Amino acid sequence: MPQLEQVEFFISQLFWLGVFFVILFSVLTYITLPKIRAFLNQRDDFVKLHISKQDELIKKAESIIENYEAKLTEAKNQASEIINDAKDKALQESETLIKATEEKIQQEIRQTEERVTKEKDLAISELNVQLKDSATNFISKVTKIEKGNITI
Amino acid sequence: MAKGESPLKQFEIQPIIDINLFGLDISFTNSALWMTVTTAFILIFFTAPFLKSKKTNSVSDLYPSRMQVAAELGFSFINSLLNDTVGKEGKKYFSLVFTLFMFILFGNLFGMIPYSFTFTSHIIVTLALAMGVFIFVTVLGFVKHGVKFFSFFVIPGLPIYMLPLLIPIEIISYLSRPISLSVRLFANMLAGHTLLKVFAGFVSALGIFGILPLVFIIALTGLEILIAFLQAYVFAILTCLYINDALHLH
Repeated sequence: MPQLEQVEFFISQLFWLGVFFVILFSVLTYITLPKIRAFLNQRDDFVKLHISKQDELIKKAESIIENYEAKLTEAKNQASEIINDAKDKALQESETLIKATEEKIQQEIRQTEERVTKEKDLAISELNVQLKDSATNFISKVTKIEKGNITI
Repeated sequence: MAKGESPLKQFEIQPIIDINLFGLDISFTNSALWMTVTTAFILIFFTAPFLKSKKTNSVSDLYPSRMQVAAELGFSFINSLLNDTVGKEGKKYFSLVFTLFMFILFGNLFGMIPYSFTFTSHIIVTLALAMGVFIFVTVLGFVKHGVKFFSFFVIPGLPIYMLPLLIPIEIISYLSRPISLSVRLFANMLAGHTLLKVFAGFVSALGIFGILPLVFIIALTGLEILIAFLQAYVFAILTCLYINDALHLH
């Protein structure tokens, strides 16, 4: 069996085994394995970071939805308020308008009545004058008395 | 293989470059050549995919390439192995277990290439690796626990009168660790490769019926590749267990 017979190569085998094992161990320890570890850590960090980011984003989205809903209800309330206000205002305005119009109409009625009475009076007085005139004319014609001497 | 050649001839060491240092023969042999190949392959396989340092800081940096996935597979395999046996303290010994596992694994696998040389089939190599592990864990135990390390040989909860019998047994079992560790690997490689060669001899010897041992060799080659993985795994997991023993005693 060469393994036990070739004793002269034991030193050589041990020497080269030592050399290559030490080279392999040193390079792996100080160069290769840190590189692999760094690569794996980088990826793990990335995954962890993104998982935590995802949670954050989900929370953010939820708060945004809440905010949106709150704003929506607020806007709805505001809108109904505005509508009610507008209704009230319009009602009030129309009432005042109706009142004003009624007043105006009544005023005009009053004015017209006044004018009518004034005109009536005027007409009556005019009529009186005319009647007097025609009466005096008639009397003077009949009585042959000067117009100026007749008084009624 | 030429007819009549011993199936053990494949294990012969052949010097390629004769080197003599201070009267010691440290010739560069076929064994050293395949250690070179194994070391170079492991270093390239695990380092090259991570060398490109393009830092675009985009997500595409984080997608591993095919080679990176392959390298990561080896990394996480040893990582989980250490985690399962030693726990969190095992991280410190990661590179040792990783180096041992990869060196033995690719040594075994390159040995499966025809006309190559399996350096793990030599008892001196496996014994050196096992002794290295043995000395390392023993020193580790003494550094961690000092003299208390000797309590490792006393099984807790045992009656006093049993101790004189069991302490020597424990010590013998502890001392035989490097032997069992090295012989297991060496014997598996030796037996597998010898068996392959023996059956390969039958292929030419049996003529037309050589097809039968040929089929057998194909199946056996698959089994040998499995054993190459298995023995590297066994060596690595036993190293982990020994480290665990040294750290926690019982």
